[in-house]
Amino acid sequence: MSTVSEPLVSGSSRSLSSAKRHKSIRKNSRRIFSTYHNQQGPSDDEDKEDERVDSNDPEEMFQNIQYQKEIIANIRSRPWPMKRKLKVLKQAREIVLRYEGRLTRTRGYQTAGADLLIKLSRLLYNIVVLFIPWEVRIKKIESHFGSGVASYFIFLRWLFGINIVLTIMTGAFIVLPELLAGAAFGTTRSKTIPREHLASAQDLDTIWSLGGYLQYSVLFYGYYGSVRKIGSAGYRLPLAYFLVGMAVFAYSFIILLRKMAKNSRLSLASTSDENFTFCWRVFCAWDYLIGNPEAAESKGAAIVNNIREAIVEEQEKKKDTSLAVLISLRIIANILVLLSLAGSIYIIYFVVDRSQKLEQEKPELSLWEKNEVSVVVSLITMIAPSAFELVAQLEQYHPRTSLRFQLARVLVLYLGNLYSLIIALLDKVNSMSSAVPVNPGNWSESSSFLATISQPEPDSLSTLVSDISFPEHHNSTTATVAAVTHLSNSSRPSSGFNQTSLFEKTTRSQQDQCWETYVGQEMLKLSIIDMIFTVASILLIDFIRGLVVRYLSDCCCWDLESKFPEYGEFKIAENVLHLIYNQGMIWMGAFFSPCLPAFNVLKLIGLMYLRSWAVLTCNVPHQQVFRASRSNNFYLAMLLFMLFLCMLPTIFAIVRYRPSQHCGPFSGQEKIYDIISDTVASDFPLWFSKVMSYITSPVVVLPALLLLFMLIYYLQAIARSLKFTNTQLRMQLQTERTEDKKKVVQLAAARLQGPEAAADPKPDLQESDITSQEASIHTPSPRQNGSATTFQSPVSHGTSIRTITQSVSRAELSRGSVTGSFRCPAVTVLPKHRLEHIPNRPPPFLGGPSGTCRSKSYHHIRHNAPGHSPDNIHSDPLYRRTARSARPIEHAGIIPAQSCGGRRSHATRYIIINEHEPRKKLLRSATRIPRHYLMEEPAEILELYPRNMKRYTHRTAHHQSHHSHRAYLSQQYLSEDEEDEQGGKGRGRMTSTKAHRPHSLSDLHQSAHFYIGDQEESHALRAQNVGEEDGEGEMDSEDLELASRSKSSVKGTEPVVVRIRHHVHSPGRDGQSPARIRHMESYVKTKTRTKLETPLTESDSASLASSSDQQNSSTDQYIQVIHNKERYFKSDASQENMAKRKSKASFDRNVTESNDLVCSNV
Amino acid sequence: MGGNTSQLSKENVSEYQELTFLTKQEILLAYKRFSELYEDRRSSLDPRTSRIPLQKMTELPELRSNPFKHRICRVFSTSEVKDGSLSFEDFLDLLSAFSDSATLEIKSHYAFCIFDDDNDGTLNRKDLEKLINHLTSESEDTKLTRNEMEQLINNILEESDIDKDGTVNLSEFQHVISRSPDFVSSFKIVL
Repeated sequence: MSTVSEPLVSGSSRSLSSAKRHKSIRKNSRRIFSTYHNQQGPSDDEDKEDERVDSNDPEEMFQNIQYQKEIIANIRSRPWPMKRKLKVLKQAREIVLRYEGRLTRTRGYQTAGADLLIKLSRLLYNIVVLFIPWEVRIKKIESHFGSGVASYFIFLRWLFGINIVLTIMTGAFIVLPELLAGAAFGTTRSKTIPREHLASAQDLDTIWSLGGYLQYSVLFYGYYGSVRKIGSAGYRLPLAYFLVGMAVFAYSFIILLRKMAKNSRLSLASTSDENFTFCWRVFCAWDYLIGNPEAAESKGAAIVNNIREAIVEEQEKKKDTSLAVLISLRIIANILVLLSLAGSIYIIYFVVDRSQKLEQEKPELSLWEKNEVSVVVSLITMIAPSAFELVAQLEQYHPRTSLRFQLARVLVLYLGNLYSLIIALLDKVNSMSSAVPVNPGNWSESSSFLATISQPEPDSLSTLVSDISFPEHHNSTTATVAAVTHLSNSSRPSSGFNQTSLFEKTTRSQQDQCWETYVGQEMLKLSIIDMIFTVASILLIDFIRGLVVRYLSDCCCWDLESKFPEYGEFKIAENVLHLIYNQGMIWMGAFFSPCLPAFNVLKLIGLMYLRSWAVLTCNVPHQQVFRASRSNNFYLAMLLFMLFLCMLPTIFAIVRYRPSQHCGPFSGQEKIYDIISDTVASDFPLWFSKVMSYITSPVVVLPALLLLFMLIYYLQAIARSLKFTNTQLRMQLQTERTEDKKKVVQLAAARLQGPEAAADPKPDLQESDITSQEASIHTPSPRQNGSATTFQSPVSHGTSIRTITQSVSRAELSRGSVTGSFRCPAVTVLPKHRLEHIPNRPPPFLGGPSGTCRSKSYHHIRHNAPGHSPDNIHSDPLYRRTARSARPIEHAGIIPAQSCGGRRSHATRYIIINEHEPRKKLLRSATRIPRHYLMEEPAEILELYPRNMKRYTHRTAHHQSHHSHRAYLSQQYLSEDEEDEQGGKGRGRMTSTKAHRPHSLSDLHQSAHFYIGDQEESHALRAQNVGEEDGEGEMDSEDLELASRSKSSVKGTEPVVVRIRHHVHSPGRDGQSPARIRHMESYVKTKTRTKLETPLTESDSASLASSSDQQNSSTDQYIQVIHNKERYFKSDASQENMAKRKSKASFDRNVTESNDLVCSNV
Repeated sequence: MGGNTSQLSKENVSEYQELTFLTKQEILLAYKRFSELYEDRRSSLDPRTSRIPLQKMTELPELRSNPFKHRICRVFSTSEVKDGSLSFEDFLDLLSAFSDSATLEIKSHYAFCIFDDDNDGTLNRKDLEKLINHLTSESEDTKLTRNEMEQLINNILEESDIDKDGTVNLSEFQHVISRSPDFVSSFKIVL
């Protein structure tokens, strides 16, 4: 029992405080309301109630203004029809204007400025959109082939954008300055074609292999001069070259990471388990912008495609196959893949090695021999993926996983290719730059070896012998170093120095072999060949095949279109990877060949058109196209991986090898990056270099690194914890939802058990539960009073009831009850009784009164409905109720008065539980303890009725006004609170109901009746709910209710109600029930006052015997008063009475009285 | 046209601006378009009461090929007879909800209304089926088979129906929609 009672107590106390709060608020609003009431038509007042500002309170006024402003600012984002918005806006504006006239001007400027800004940005946006390349083309492809294929093109476009930026960077900072201000072609040795090559410099063959004029052009590293400053402005080209080379990587990294972060932000919002593929494909599928019927058609096709795709995917998930075979197959497949990977790597290395040897051995290389490397690499990149795909069919993975595998393998293959190529190249570079012998003893030998290579070259410029010596001394011991450096130092500045012929020859060869240029050449060559192969494969594999399949299918013995050759499929994954691979080459070579990005731009443009053409003309969409949307980070992750891996060799080369001595911007330096330190040392003030040296010293770098690691770790930890809380919250949300659902289901089931399935489920149920429980709690006290020798208790009851009805707040109720208990010693007895009868009851004092209040409220509702509108739907339920209730009544009736406590309690219990049966109870009670019950109930009815009216009016006001969400909410709160206070129904109680429910289950049948009977309430609730979403609906329903209920004009009723409410609240605050009551009475009616007063006086007197008498007398008075207005309800009342089996004079009286009372209030 | 546009008082325009996500130009353009559609009727155009019937409205090139055009008109119509006819203010509401700058919340709210074929406040299986049929344009080759439809609806409910009541309510719908990367950009109609 105690456990049960606790929640109730806490709930009541909570509601108590909230009730107070709201009362004060309401009071304010009331005051405001009343002031405005006079100024404006009554119809609008209700609506505006919540907007009103209490002009006396600047704080409140300010808040209200803020609030109204908020309304104005947010009004457009409310899904209301224009009419309503207009009305609300006008009202809000009016208020703001009234209270804040001077502020509006500045606000006007502000909004004008904001508008302008918005307009400008929109204009800009429109212009930008105009310039997005290939938008139409991509949309077209998208509509034909779905998002997957389009994603390839979008990715291509994005890469194109990156390459544009890279091109601008290299073009503007390296190529253009060199062209404009650098030494002209032919002026320096590094910029002239060697004489022996001059003859063949224009041969197509030479050009093809990027030799001749191309080799000595801005295309490659070797062409750039090493003069520290060029042009009149003193442009530091070498420094720029280095910085741009690094910036290319930096930019790529940043842009990639940013894109990834953006995507992951999008995808984070929908973490793995929240992937609404299907919903998105259906709900977000349609592009409402489409106005062109054709486009709409293709969009429709795309959507169907998409949906089918998703369905297939889903079905794919459900497939099962035997494991053993699968595993062995997969192992085999992986072995095959590994073998082919190793093979391809070996082949590449072999080819590079061979070409190196060939170069050394043969003076003239054939076309094949020259292009061997790139052709082989391209061939492998073309063929291997198909082989992998074949292998993948062995594995029987889910298409998506197989796609992933395929991608991973192809990526590894490409990387292997690039890496083996670059390693082979660097190997060659190594042999070139540090060509020679490790030990000084072999000096002559090595040089002679070089000489043999360069022998065919006739003349030799004697310069730069030192260059050769440099590498050597590098690798040699210090002793030799000294000698050689001396040599080099002397030789370097003097270009016309004469050396031995041996040296001359070696020099020549060395100068030709500018390794950076060589690497650049190779990369560019690879890129070109790759492009050719791509084009060829598109033409051959897709186009020709398409043609053949299309036109030869008639004269062939099998169906070409569906059997063997078919149409080419567009393989997104491979193509994307190919793009990535391509980009990797660019990154790898960009440092050595500044024009590579520019070339890539051209290549991508060509690819875009060719591919899109091929896709549209001769490809069919992949049978199972998987979504790789813009938000997919997969491609980007691969690209990032590629970027990193491609940057490594370049960085390695920059750090590890010394630059060529004859060519390029860094000639003559020990290391490429020396340019930075040189610049810092020579061109910056001294302090700067000092600072730099400090910064780069381990003292700073190490702590900085440490700090970085710590930061990373910290952020990581935060991210982890956030993720954790995120999942926690989600789980909580889920469980809560399921819990709620369960409860609702339980309630519904419980309801079904009851004979009558009420039309309205949740709110009613909960409330009814609460009420029933509370009612049960209540009842004991009356019984006890009755049974207990003390008559006072009834009196106290009556008072408490009245107080409840009036004040509505639990606090008051409790007080009332307390007072009651105070007066009557019998109260102590009550708990015991309760225990016996209804074990679940909460503590008597608080719970009892509140319960009574509620039950009363219910009664009211019922009374109202039948009384006012006989035609109402409610009337039916009422009858039913009455019928049911009859049973218990009889029961009660059978029970003799002797065991007053027990039986009465029973009877009362029933009554309370049934809520609807108050009348019957009344009847019954009238029979047994006539006066008390009668008294109480009529009083309740009286008060309740006004309340209900209030409520309704309140709501209607809500609907009409609809000022804003907030207003809404607040109103709702208010109404809820009101209900709480009134003790009729509170949502706050709903929470408590849960706890109580189990207990109430025993009483379920009766409670069910209640629910049904409570239709009015449910109506109201429903209306409220609906109102939250739809103002109109609410209005309608409420209007209906109002109309049906109120015979007299609604307006007339409203003011009365309001007034009553007003008064009720203020007394509630006072906390003195008698005072309250008196207020109430005075406002309501003189008659009621008299009635109420009598009970009060009784309670005050606190004398047992006298109290009983008084009560009786008071009830009599009551009745009499009521009698005056009996006629109103006679008809309705008579109907009700008919339904009830026991038609006693007293019954009739009571019922009629209640009705009358209600009427009179109106 | 100038005569028509002048019928919209400045006050009205600024009010509409305040109440919608549209700019002044857009409102004027909308008025122009609206009055063009309205022109052949005799009575003068009143933004609040003059209505353009559903049939005419769906002839609008911006709506013509939209599979949801009828639903859209019905959702935005405030007509008492529920015939889907739009007054100018309804029309503005429509354009506002579909405008560039409308918030996700309002867009998703209206999207929900549009998808909610029977106006009962939830998307039940029937609504979903209708929605899908709208999308697949109901021709024989594009229409989903019974099985596919069943599975699709099941999957949709599985994904979005958090409270497992067999329907998608507004908050569930908005939850799903708000995660979608490209709903806001595609739920647009520009005159």
